[in-house]
Amino acid sequence: MVAPAFLHALIWIGIPVVAAFVLSFTSYDVLTQPRFIGIQNYLDAFGDPVFRRGMLNTLVYAFFTVPVAMAIALLIALMLDTQLRARALFRTAVFIPQVTATIAVALVWLWIYDPRSGLLNAVLSFFGLPAQNWLSSTTWAMPAVITVGIWQGIGLKMLIYLAALQSLPKDVYEAASVDGASRTRQFFSLTLPLLRPATFFVFVTSVISAFQAFDLIYILTDGGPANTTTMMTYEIYKSAFREFRVGYACAQSIVLFVFLLILTLANRRLNGGDSGRH
Amino acid sequence: MAGTDLVAAPPRTTPGSSRTPAARRRLERGALYLVLTVIAVVMVVPFVWMILTSLKTPQDLAATPPSFLPAQWAWGNYAEALAAAPFLTYARNSLIIAVSHTAINLVIASMAGYALARLRFRGSELVFIGFVAALMIPTYTKIIPEFLIVRFMPLFGGNDILGQGGTGWLDTWWALIVPGAVTPFAVFLFRQFYLDLPVELEEAARLDGVSELGIWARIMTPLVKPAFITVALLTFESSWNNFLWPLLVTRTDSMRVIQVGLSVFRTENDTQWAFLMAGTTLATVPMVVLFLLGQKYFVRGFANAGIK
Repeated sequence: MVAPAFLHALIWIGIPVVAAFVLSFTSYDVLTQPRFIGIQNYLDAFGDPVFRRGMLNTLVYAFFTVPVAMAIALLIALMLDTQLRARALFRTAVFIPQVTATIAVALVWLWIYDPRSGLLNAVLSFFGLPAQNWLSSTTWAMPAVITVGIWQGIGLKMLIYLAALQSLPKDVYEAASVDGASRTRQFFSLTLPLLRPATFFVFVTSVISAFQAFDLIYILTDGGPANTTTMMTYEIYKSAFREFRVGYACAQSIVLFVFLLILTLANRRLNGGDSGRH
Repeated sequence: MAGTDLVAAPPRTTPGSSRTPAARRRLERGALYLVLTVIAVVMVVPFVWMILTSLKTPQDLAATPPSFLPAQWAWGNYAEALAAAPFLTYARNSLIIAVSHTAINLVIASMAGYALARLRFRGSELVFIGFVAALMIPTYTKIIPEFLIVRFMPLFGGNDILGQGGTGWLDTWWALIVPGAVTPFAVFLFRQFYLDLPVELEEAARLDGVSELGIWARIMTPLVKPAFITVALLTFESSWNNFLWPLLVTRTDSMRVIQVGLSVFRTENDTQWAFLMAGTTLATVPMVVLFLLGQKYFVRGFANAGIK
């Protein structure tokens, strides 16, 4: 009964991963036979200033859309974990960007960031603040991209935190209150440790999606201006499907995989490993 | 709107009582509602702006600063947008793919999830670890070889037995549907749900001589209906929203999906914001409606995967 799913995963996941690894040691342009060139692609990738920029940008983007966004999401979840009458309404509002296509929301934000007729500059000028060329400024393009990333991803993080908060044992808190622990103290010594499994899950899924941000960049900036918003995924796409350097692109994709693997394992060590005992 | 009655809330407390705990709580509550309202507005305004833009005339769009509401509601924009680009064809293609993915994923992943949860067979542990590992593989690490497999698919699209000479599955429904049809995430989620069912049921059925396939189809599966709805919604949503894969494997306009169609329309008609936002509305509204209808299941799907 498991055979159809297993075969599917073997053909479309297992073989491709092995193939990506093998091809990463070759020079291959699809038209001619792949030629073995050792680790040259990896040397090229780490020597290429644009790909290095892509790695740095990916890390910066991940920093803001993972730990920073998680903190905001937890804050919103804590606010919603009270006796609010409109809780469902708020939860829905925060979650909607999550279910809509990144291409679609990126187009909407492209229009919001429009320097001449965009909503953002109109709101800023209402408050007497200067207008900006958001997406064509080397200073503002990355923050603009990150903002959309946080905006779209916050719903899922919040939702998982909210579900976890609601399943926390109430009696522990009663005991802590009786013992005179302040609410801040309760948060740091009870809530945060109890949320560890949720934090681990949110972290892993968010890191995976942050490192694979592509649609946003494709629509908003095309990696520009001056490579200030290019990401590892975008460089992989360009190498493979614009320059047809397939072997090189595979090496870049293996580097991406290794980044994710390290982050996941490190987090498991710090976070998940401990919760495994419960 | 909710904000206005919050601002009105504090004066209702009688003067001098502002230091009593009840009044303080009410103030705190007011502040909470205010902050949450601001957040909710930030989350929703882009969608409102999208719909309002789709109903504006070119004169409205050129205005600086832009007016929030259209001076004249241009309902005709939708008909004109559909005439300017085949958005309906794109949406139909997306629908066909999303429905196919959902149907295939429900059948194949639930069978696998059931087998992994309930049946002990040689290598079952290893297969399960394989699926968990597959969950971890980034799309970008497998997408290039996936593209090559599709491109060199033997005996399709003019290819010979070695996959040379033609275009394989490129620009066909095969490429759009087959590679993404079964997701390890669905297998994993189904396994979680099947694990929770009592063993007695299955044993009783087995004693009655029901086949394993029969136990799965007629005894166990009706008990995990919520899992089916959850996986169906999540699969449909991610399939409808997918961009990169359909971008890579389609060439002709008639095979494009809605997300690719939107992106192409944007590059070809750079300043047609009203039409573009009309198309974007078409691409997002079905998902928002689906989410509102099945919110409970979306939440359960994500929460289940997270907490167990």
